[in-house]
Amino acid sequence: MRYRSQSVAYWYFAVAMVLFGLQLVFGLLSAAKYLGPDPLLNLLPFDVTKSIHTNLLIVWVLTGFMGATYWMVPDESRGELHSTKLAYIQLGLWTAMGVTAVLGYLFGYGTGNKLLEQPLPHKIVIVICMLMFLYNIGMTIKKAGRFTATEGVLLLGLTSAAVLYLPALLHYENYVVSIYYRWWTIHLWVEGVWEMIQGGFLAYLLIRLSGADREVMEKWLYVIVGLVFIAGILGTAHHYYWIGVPHYWLPLGGFFSALEPLALIGMAIYAYNAMRRSGLSHPNKLALHWTLGSAVFTMFGAGLLGLAHTFPDVNKWTHGTLITAMHGHAAFYGAYAMIVLAMITYALPGMTRRPVEESSIGYWAFWLQLGGMFGMTLSFATAGIGQVYLERILGLGYLDVQLKIQVHFLMLVATASMFSLGAGLFIFDFFRHAPDFNVDEADPVLATPRASGAAL
Amino acid sequence: MNKRQTRSFALISTAIAAVVFLGMTVDSHRQFPKLTNAQQITPEVTRGKDVWHEYNCINCHTLFGEGAYYAPDLTKITQQRGAPYLTAFLKDPSKFYDEKRHRRLMPNLKLGDEEIADLIAFLDWVSKVDNQGWPPRPILVTGASIPGMDLTVAQQNATGGDQPPPAARPVSGKEDPIALGEALFRTTATPVCSACHSIAPGVNLAGPSLAGLASRAKQVIASPDYKGKAKDAEGFIRESIVTPSIYLHPGDMFSANGMSFMPDTFVKSLTPEQIDQLVAYLASFQ
Repeated sequence: MRYRSQSVAYWYFAVAMVLFGLQLVFGLLSAAKYLGPDPLLNLLPFDVTKSIHTNLLIVWVLTGFMGATYWMVPDESRGELHSTKLAYIQLGLWTAMGVTAVLGYLFGYGTGNKLLEQPLPHKIVIVICMLMFLYNIGMTIKKAGRFTATEGVLLLGLTSAAVLYLPALLHYENYVVSIYYRWWTIHLWVEGVWEMIQGGFLAYLLIRLSGADREVMEKWLYVIVGLVFIAGILGTAHHYYWIGVPHYWLPLGGFFSALEPLALIGMAIYAYNAMRRSGLSHPNKLALHWTLGSAVFTMFGAGLLGLAHTFPDVNKWTHGTLITAMHGHAAFYGAYAMIVLAMITYALPGMTRRPVEESSIGYWAFWLQLGGMFGMTLSFATAGIGQVYLERILGLGYLDVQLKIQVHFLMLVATASMFSLGAGLFIFDFFRHAPDFNVDEADPVLATPRASGAAL
Repeated sequence: MNKRQTRSFALISTAIAAVVFLGMTVDSHRQFPKLTNAQQITPEVTRGKDVWHEYNCINCHTLFGEGAYYAPDLTKITQQRGAPYLTAFLKDPSKFYDEKRHRRLMPNLKLGDEEIADLIAFLDWVSKVDNQGWPPRPILVTGASIPGMDLTVAQQNATGGDQPPPAARPVSGKEDPIALGEALFRTTATPVCSACHSIAPGVNLAGPSLAGLASRAKQVIASPDYKGKAKDAEGFIRESIVTPSIYLHPGDMFSANGMSFMPDTFVKSLTPEQIDQLVAYLASFQ
């Protein structure tokens, strides 16, 4: 750790870790309900566990983004944070928002609008927290007077994420119109501005870990951002299938969604090349695993599996089946969970007494999660294919089909348990070492990679 | 290419995509009223939408295919199930489905009468939105709609041995009345009979299974509970189509307050000849 105020990030990461663990508890509960019968039917029905599962995901990933930004910006701009006090107030407010929202869901308070279940007061607190956060980061950069392109991409991503949350605050009388604008938040977040955030972190990590040339990395970062937005903005169209909008969204969705993997494949090549050229020189190899893992798993989960059901002629059969769950799990984990875990793994030795060199627990956590998530993706895929064939094509009833695909739900619970074991190890590894906020110029985390990177 | 050029690429392509997207958003707004029948969004429909949200329905079900995947899609549910059926179901789902058998069950939400009526009005509005013809084939809650799978050997024989299976053949109007009745059963009647009745044994959809109907009809006529006028199986089936409430099939999921959930409109929507054909078809289930 080079700047004292970077220690703020530790507490953000700690909150993110706790919420991550909690998310998995509710995920496992939801998966078990697919096997049924459900002894908690009247206490904790599926709709509650499922909304808590997805909401905790959003909250912990955003907490991770904020923590990672508080770590990265002092490093990039070479100066202390504007106000650590503000950052801690923001964290308190944010955590209180998250916890009370989840408690509310347990008792049936929520808007019943998928992924935007937060009640209005909570939504307003979210906006306030985001404004506090952006103000703090903006002032830090202004004071330091150094603004890198990597930071620029990250910051633009974070600002747009805040702006795009605003349509979620409005009320629409027509249900179709409300769906239309719901996707402005959800889709343009996860397939637009969040990818910018991911790209920003990815560039930062690659520059630090592989010593790749900054000019080259930032040049390609812009290309990736351009590709993300060409395909991502108009790719919103693939959420406008079958919901009551004009027909021209169908071919448009097919075409631009097909372009979406381009940016993600570009990102994976970008990461792989940066590592190859510089030859894995940083001692924190585990962080490099997570960084490259994120780029590759995003290409697989978001790019490939998204493409698998994005064409209207395919989607008319697969829409609203477990095929969507297959894509959703792999994409979100690869793109956003893994990049946050990469930032944590990179930053942690600087903030705790943890050694920079990898530990075997760290590797177990990595491979168990990866294997588990891959297995979960396959379980959803096989269940989904069965469902599409039996229910949508042969015309068997929904409930009868769900009985026929039980074996895939068993596989889901098994692989999800494996994933949870890996995540549990990661969380254990996080809290195993006490925090140590000594400012150290010769911090091994910041060690310059031994072989300086060649250009891409 | 240098960094400045790639930055311009990112900015310009984002700007173009955003402008195109906003333009289409404006045009979509122009078309929303017609596509969504906005003039039919009555206060009842709006209240129904609030009920839909209040009870978090979307985190188990899907609507327009969006939501969770734990319970059936409800986009076209009001075209498959009438209001009396849905009302009774929402009052107590456990009377309709067995958690032991289906391994999942909708919890009883203890909805009020008005909430239920509003919710059904909302779902009915949803079912009429022009959503690009999705789903391409009806999504059933239970049962099966595989053509041909549900034919008995006797029916297959009745339409000739060397021809393709009856379900695969277009009907010209000269076939055996049973075959014509079968075509009616799946296509012509509105609502189509097969939306609510399976002819596979033991598969109860919204209406009871019609497997073995002829022999069961004889048993019903002979029982002291029967108050109708039919003397034989054919007469019983005809009576059930024309005036569904005269004999109520046992079970809370099929009727309430002495009224069958089956529509009584077939006597008007079908010609006497068509009803004869349906009777012939259904009486073939010995």
